[in-house]
Amino acid sequence: MREAKPGHIPGALELSDETRDRLAELRAVSEKAEAGDKDARRELRRLVRSSSPEVIGRAADIGRRAGRILADTAAGGDPLVEEALYAKLDAMRVEIAGENPTPLEVLLTERVVSLWIFTALLEVLVSAQYHKRLSAGAERSSPSYIVQQSRILDSATRRYLAAMRELARVRKLQANTPAVQQNVQINLDNGR
Amino acid sequence: MTLERRDGNLYYYRSVRAGEKVRKVYEGSGELATIAHEREIMNRAVREHERRESAKGLERLETLMAPVEELCEAAEILLRAHLIASGYHRHKGEWRRARGEARTHPRSA
Repeated sequence: MREAKPGHIPGALELSDETRDRLAELRAVSEKAEAGDKDARRELRRLVRSSSPEVIGRAADIGRRAGRILADTAAGGDPLVEEALYAKLDAMRVEIAGENPTPLEVLLTERVVSLWIFTALLEVLVSAQYHKRLSAGAERSSPSYIVQQSRILDSATRRYLAAMRELARVRKLQANTPAVQQNVQINLDNGR
Repeated sequence: MTLERRDGNLYYYRSVRAGEKVRKVYEGSGELATIAHEREIMNRAVREHERRESAKGLERLETLMAPVEELCEAAEILLRAHLIASGYHRHKGEWRRARGEARTHPRSA
Protein backbone atom coordinates (compact mmCIF):
# COMPACT_ATOMS: atom_id res chain seq x y z
CA MET A 1 0.00 0.00 0.00
CA ARG A 2 0.97 3.68 -0.33
CA GLU A 3 3.50 5.23 2.00
CA ALA A 4 2.26 8.10 4.17
CA LYS A 5 3.35 11.43 2.67
CA PRO A 6 4.19 14.63 4.49
CA GLY A 7 1.00 16.64 4.91
CA HIS A 8 -1.12 13.53 4.55
CA ILE A 9 -4.31 13.62 6.65
CA PRO A 10 -3.73 11.03 9.36
CA GLY A 11 -6.05 8.85 11.39
CA ALA A 12 -9.64 8.84 10.21
CA LEU A 13 -8.66 9.05 6.56
CA GLU A 14 -6.23 6.18 6.58
CA LEU A 15 -6.90 2.48 6.74
CA SER A 16 -5.59 0.88 9.90
CA ASP A 17 -2.49 -1.30 9.70
CA GLU A 18 -4.67 -4.32 10.42
CA THR A 19 -6.97 -3.53 7.47
CA ARG A 20 -3.97 -2.96 5.20
CA ASP A 21 -2.51 -6.30 6.28
CA ARG A 22 -5.77 -8.01 5.40
CA LEU A 23 -5.86 -6.30 2.02
CA ALA A 24 -2.26 -7.34 1.39
CA GLU A 25 -3.21 -10.91 2.31
CA LEU A 26 -6.24 -10.83 0.01
CA ARG A 27 -4.10 -9.52 -2.82
CA ALA A 28 -1.38 -12.13 -2.32
CA VAL A 29 -3.84 -15.04 -2.16
CA SER A 30 -5.78 -13.63 -5.17
CA GLU A 31 -2.59 -13.62 -7.21
CA LYS A 32 -1.87 -17.24 -6.32
CA ALA A 33 -5.46 -18.27 -7.06
CA GLU A 34 -5.41 -16.41 -10.37
CA ALA A 35 -2.25 -18.29 -11.28
CA GLY A 36 -4.19 -21.54 -10.90
CA ASP A 37 -3.42 -22.60 -7.33
CA LYS A 38 -6.57 -24.43 -6.21
CA ASP A 39 -5.63 -24.41 -2.53
CA ALA A 40 -5.19 -20.65 -2.80
CA ARG A 41 -8.67 -20.34 -4.30
CA ARG A 42 -10.16 -22.25 -1.37
CA GLU A 43 -8.20 -20.07 1.02
CA LEU A 44 -9.35 -16.97 -0.86
CA ARG A 45 -13.01 -17.99 -0.48
CA ARG A 46 -12.47 -18.39 3.24
CA LEU A 47 -10.71 -15.04 3.48
CA VAL A 48 -13.34 -13.25 1.41
CA ARG A 49 -16.11 -14.60 3.63
CA SER A 50 -14.33 -13.99 6.91
CA SER A 51 -12.60 -10.68 6.45
CA SER A 52 -13.88 -8.79 3.44
CA PRO A 53 -17.13 -7.36 4.95
CA GLU A 54 -15.12 -5.64 7.67
CA VAL A 55 -12.42 -4.45 5.27
CA ILE A 56 -15.09 -3.22 2.85
CA GLY A 57 -16.79 -1.37 5.71
CA ARG A 58 -13.58 0.37 6.69
CA ALA A 59 -12.60 1.27 3.14
CA ALA A 60 -16.10 2.58 2.39
CA ASP A 61 -15.92 4.65 5.58
CA ILE A 62 -12.65 6.24 4.38
CA GLY A 63 -14.44 7.06 1.13
CA ARG A 64 -17.33 8.75 2.93
CA ARG A 65 -15.01 10.84 5.11
CA ALA A 66 -12.86 11.76 2.12
CA GLY A 67 -16.03 12.76 0.23
CA ARG A 68 -16.97 15.19 2.97
CA ILE A 69 -13.50 16.75 3.10
CA LEU A 70 -13.53 17.17 -0.67
CA ALA A 71 -17.00 18.71 -0.47
CA ASP A 72 -15.76 21.13 2.22
CA THR A 73 -12.84 22.13 0.01
CA ALA A 74 -15.00 22.49 -3.10
CA ALA A 75 -17.51 24.62 -1.15
CA GLY A 76 -14.74 27.07 -0.25
CA GLY A 77 -16.30 27.89 3.12
CA ASP A 78 -19.81 28.57 1.79
CA PRO A 79 -22.13 26.63 4.16
CA LEU A 80 -24.96 26.53 1.62
CA VAL A 81 -22.76 24.98 -1.07
CA GLU A 82 -21.31 22.63 1.54
CA GLU A 83 -24.77 21.36 2.52
CA ALA A 84 -25.81 21.10 -1.11
CA LEU A 85 -22.73 19.00 -1.87
CA TYR A 86 -23.34 16.71 1.12
CA ALA A 87 -26.92 16.22 -0.03
CA LYS A 88 -25.71 15.56 -3.58
CA LEU A 89 -23.22 12.95 -2.33
CA ASP A 90 -25.90 11.22 -0.26
CA ALA A 91 -28.34 11.25 -3.18
CA MET A 92 -25.67 9.81 -5.47
CA ARG A 93 -24.92 7.03 -2.97
CA VAL A 94 -28.56 6.02 -2.76
CA GLU A 95 -29.11 6.28 -6.50
CA ILE A 96 -25.96 4.44 -7.56
CA ALA A 97 -26.00 1.74 -4.87
CA GLY A 98 -29.67 0.96 -5.52
CA GLU A 99 -31.83 -1.19 -3.32
CA ASN A 100 -30.21 -3.82 -1.10
CA PRO A 101 -26.67 -3.29 -2.31
CA THR A 102 -24.08 -5.94 -1.53
CA PRO A 103 -21.10 -4.79 0.59
CA LEU A 104 -19.00 -4.84 -2.58
CA GLU A 105 -21.53 -2.64 -4.38
CA VAL A 106 -21.47 -0.23 -1.42
CA LEU A 107 -17.68 0.00 -1.71
CA LEU A 108 -17.70 0.44 -5.48
CA THR A 109 -20.42 3.07 -5.13
CA GLU A 110 -18.30 4.91 -2.58
CA ARG A 111 -15.40 4.84 -5.03
CA VAL A 112 -17.58 6.31 -7.80
CA VAL A 113 -18.92 9.04 -5.48
CA SER A 114 -15.46 9.97 -4.14
CA LEU A 115 -14.00 10.16 -7.62
CA TRP A 116 -16.95 12.26 -8.78
CA ILE A 117 -16.47 14.89 -6.06
CA PHE A 118 -12.70 14.83 -6.55
CA THR A 119 -13.14 15.35 -10.30
CA ALA A 120 -15.66 18.13 -9.69
CA LEU A 121 -13.24 19.86 -7.30
CA LEU A 122 -10.37 19.64 -9.79
CA GLU A 123 -12.58 21.02 -12.55
CA VAL A 124 -13.41 24.01 -10.35
CA LEU A 125 -9.71 24.57 -9.53
CA VAL A 126 -8.59 24.30 -13.14
CA SER A 127 -11.39 26.44 -14.57
CA ALA A 128 -10.79 29.11 -11.89
CA GLN A 129 -7.32 29.62 -13.36
CA TYR A 130 -8.81 30.53 -16.72
CA HIS A 131 -11.06 33.16 -15.21
CA LYS A 132 -10.25 36.68 -16.41
CA ARG A 133 -10.43 38.12 -12.91
CA LEU A 134 -9.24 36.16 -9.92
CA SER A 135 -10.80 36.73 -6.51
CA ALA A 136 -9.13 39.26 -4.21
CA GLY A 137 -5.76 38.10 -2.92
CA ALA A 138 -5.61 35.14 -5.31
CA GLU A 139 -2.58 34.78 -7.52
CA ARG A 140 -2.65 33.34 -10.99
CA SER A 141 -0.88 29.97 -11.03
CA SER A 142 2.08 29.27 -13.25
CA PRO A 143 1.36 27.55 -16.58
CA SER A 144 3.30 24.45 -15.47
CA TYR A 145 1.10 24.14 -12.37
CA ILE A 146 -2.07 24.44 -14.46
CA VAL A 147 -0.72 21.74 -16.80
CA GLN A 148 -0.03 19.46 -13.81
CA GLN A 149 -3.50 20.14 -12.39
CA SER A 150 -5.04 19.33 -15.76
CA ARG A 151 -3.13 16.04 -15.90
CA ILE A 152 -4.43 15.08 -12.45
CA LEU A 153 -7.93 16.01 -13.64
CA ASP A 154 -7.54 13.82 -16.74
CA SER A 155 -6.37 10.90 -14.63
CA ALA A 156 -9.20 11.38 -12.09
CA THR A 157 -11.78 11.56 -14.89
CA ARG A 158 -10.49 8.33 -16.43
CA ARG A 159 -10.60 6.62 -13.03
CA TYR A 160 -14.11 7.93 -12.38
CA LEU A 161 -15.36 6.51 -15.69
CA ALA A 162 -13.50 3.23 -15.05
CA ALA A 163 -15.06 2.98 -11.57
CA MET A 164 -18.55 3.31 -13.07
CA ARG A 165 -17.78 0.65 -15.71
CA GLU A 166 -16.44 -1.65 -12.97
CA LEU A 167 -19.60 -1.30 -10.91
CA ALA A 168 -21.75 -2.00 -13.97
CA ARG A 169 -19.63 -5.05 -14.76
CA VAL A 170 -19.96 -6.45 -11.23
CA ARG A 171 -23.72 -6.01 -11.42
CA LYS A 172 -23.84 -7.77 -14.75
CA LEU A 173 -21.80 -10.67 -13.37
CA GLN A 174 -23.99 -10.83 -10.27
CA ALA A 175 -27.13 -10.84 -12.38
CA ASN A 176 -25.87 -13.94 -14.21
CA THR A 177 -25.14 -15.81 -11.02
CA PRO A 178 -27.62 -17.35 -8.58
CA ALA A 179 -27.40 -15.56 -5.29
CA VAL A 180 -26.24 -17.04 -2.01
CA GLN A 181 -27.03 -14.05 0.15
CA GLN A 182 -25.01 -13.39 3.24
CA ASN A 183 -26.48 -10.56 5.21
CA VAL A 184 -23.87 -8.00 6.10
CA GLN A 185 -24.91 -4.54 7.17
CA ILE A 186 -22.68 -1.56 6.55
CA ASN A 187 -23.82 1.60 8.20
CA LEU A 188 -23.99 4.30 5.51
CA ASP A 189 -24.04 7.06 8.15
CA ASN A 190 -20.88 5.83 9.83
CA GLY A 191 -18.65 8.55 8.49
CA ARG A 192 -20.84 11.52 9.38
CA MET B 1 24.33 34.48 -15.29
CA THR B 2 27.39 36.35 -14.15
CA LEU B 3 28.28 39.94 -13.64
CA GLU B 4 32.02 40.35 -13.88
CA ARG B 5 34.11 43.37 -12.98
CA ARG B 6 37.33 43.80 -14.91
CA ASP B 7 39.51 46.91 -14.92
CA GLY B 8 36.72 48.83 -13.15
CA ASN B 9 34.15 47.95 -15.87
CA LEU B 10 31.12 45.66 -15.50
CA TYR B 11 30.50 42.88 -18.02
CA TYR B 12 27.43 40.69 -18.05
CA TYR B 13 27.51 37.11 -19.40
CA ARG B 14 24.79 34.56 -19.87
CA SER B 15 25.55 30.81 -19.49
CA VAL B 16 24.37 28.68 -22.39
CA ARG B 17 24.51 24.90 -22.35
CA ALA B 18 25.40 23.15 -25.60
CA GLY B 19 25.33 19.40 -24.96
CA GLU B 20 27.66 18.75 -22.06
CA LYS B 21 29.52 22.03 -22.39
CA VAL B 22 28.48 25.33 -20.87
CA ARG B 23 29.75 28.48 -22.53
CA LYS B 24 29.45 32.12 -21.58
CA VAL B 25 27.71 34.47 -24.00
CA TYR B 26 28.48 38.15 -23.73
CA GLU B 27 25.30 40.18 -23.07
CA GLY B 28 26.53 43.70 -22.43
CA SER B 29 28.64 45.98 -20.31
CA GLY B 30 28.35 49.04 -18.05
CA GLU B 31 24.84 50.22 -17.14
CA LEU B 32 23.27 47.65 -19.48
CA ALA B 33 25.08 44.85 -17.63
CA THR B 34 23.68 46.03 -14.27
CA ILE B 35 20.12 46.26 -15.66
CA ALA B 36 20.36 42.81 -17.27
CA HIS B 37 21.73 41.34 -14.05
CA GLU B 38 18.97 42.87 -11.89
CA ARG B 39 16.32 41.74 -14.36
CA GLU B 40 17.69 38.22 -14.17
CA ILE B 41 17.66 38.27 -10.35
CA MET B 42 14.01 39.37 -10.43
CA ASN B 43 13.09 36.71 -12.97
CA ARG B 44 14.75 34.06 -10.86
CA ALA B 45 12.85 35.21 -7.75
CA VAL B 46 9.55 35.07 -9.67
CA ARG B 47 10.33 31.59 -11.02
CA GLU B 48 11.30 30.37 -7.54
CA HIS B 49 8.09 31.80 -6.05
CA GLU B 50 6.03 30.09 -8.76
CA ARG B 51 7.85 26.82 -8.20
CA ARG B 52 7.21 26.98 -4.44
CA GLU B 53 3.54 27.90 -4.93
CA SER B 54 3.10 25.05 -7.44
CA ALA B 55 4.74 22.59 -5.05
CA LYS B 56 2.44 23.76 -2.23
CA GLY B 57 -0.62 23.49 -4.48
CA LEU B 58 0.31 20.00 -5.62
CA GLU B 59 0.97 18.93 -2.04
CA ARG B 60 -2.53 20.15 -1.08
CA LEU B 61 -4.00 18.20 -3.99
CA GLU B 62 -2.07 15.08 -3.02
CA THR B 63 -3.41 15.40 0.52
CA LEU B 64 -6.95 15.51 -0.85
CA MET B 65 -6.26 12.71 -3.30
CA ALA B 66 -4.61 10.31 -0.83
CA PRO B 67 -7.79 8.92 0.82
CA VAL B 68 -9.48 8.59 -2.59
CA GLU B 69 -6.48 6.62 -3.82
CA GLU B 70 -6.56 4.47 -0.71
CA LEU B 71 -10.23 3.72 -1.35
CA CYS B 72 -9.59 2.96 -5.05
CA GLU B 73 -6.75 0.60 -4.24
CA ALA B 74 -8.76 -1.22 -1.58
CA ALA B 75 -11.75 -1.48 -3.93
CA GLU B 76 -9.60 -2.99 -6.67
CA ILE B 77 -8.06 -5.59 -4.36
CA LEU B 78 -11.43 -6.57 -2.91
CA LEU B 79 -13.16 -6.65 -6.28
CA ARG B 80 -10.50 -8.93 -7.68
CA ALA B 81 -10.59 -11.18 -4.59
CA HIS B 82 -14.38 -11.45 -4.77
CA LEU B 83 -14.43 -12.28 -8.44
CA ILE B 84 -11.68 -14.89 -8.25
CA ALA B 85 -13.27 -16.43 -5.15
CA SER B 86 -16.56 -16.58 -7.06
CA GLY B 87 -14.96 -18.60 -9.85
CA TYR B 88 -14.12 -15.88 -12.35
CA HIS B 89 -10.86 -15.42 -14.19
CA ARG B 90 -9.53 -12.72 -16.44
CA HIS B 91 -9.31 -13.34 -20.15
CA LYS B 92 -7.83 -10.46 -22.18
CA GLY B 93 -8.91 -7.99 -19.51
CA GLU B 94 -12.44 -9.41 -19.38
CA TRP B 95 -13.73 -11.29 -16.35
CA ARG B 96 -15.11 -14.71 -17.30
CA ARG B 97 -16.35 -17.66 -15.35
CA ALA B 98 -14.01 -20.65 -15.43
CA ARG B 99 -15.56 -23.78 -16.89
CA GLY B 100 -16.65 -26.35 -14.34
CA GLU B 101 -16.36 -23.92 -11.43
CA ALA B 102 -18.87 -24.24 -8.64
CA ARG B 103 -21.31 -21.37 -8.90
CA THR B 104 -21.02 -19.07 -5.97
CA HIS B 105 -22.30 -15.56 -6.00
CA PRO B 106 -20.20 -12.47 -5.38
CA ARG B 107 -23.03 -11.49 -3.04
CA SER B 108 -22.09 -14.36 -0.80
CA ALA B 109 -18.73 -12.80 -0.12
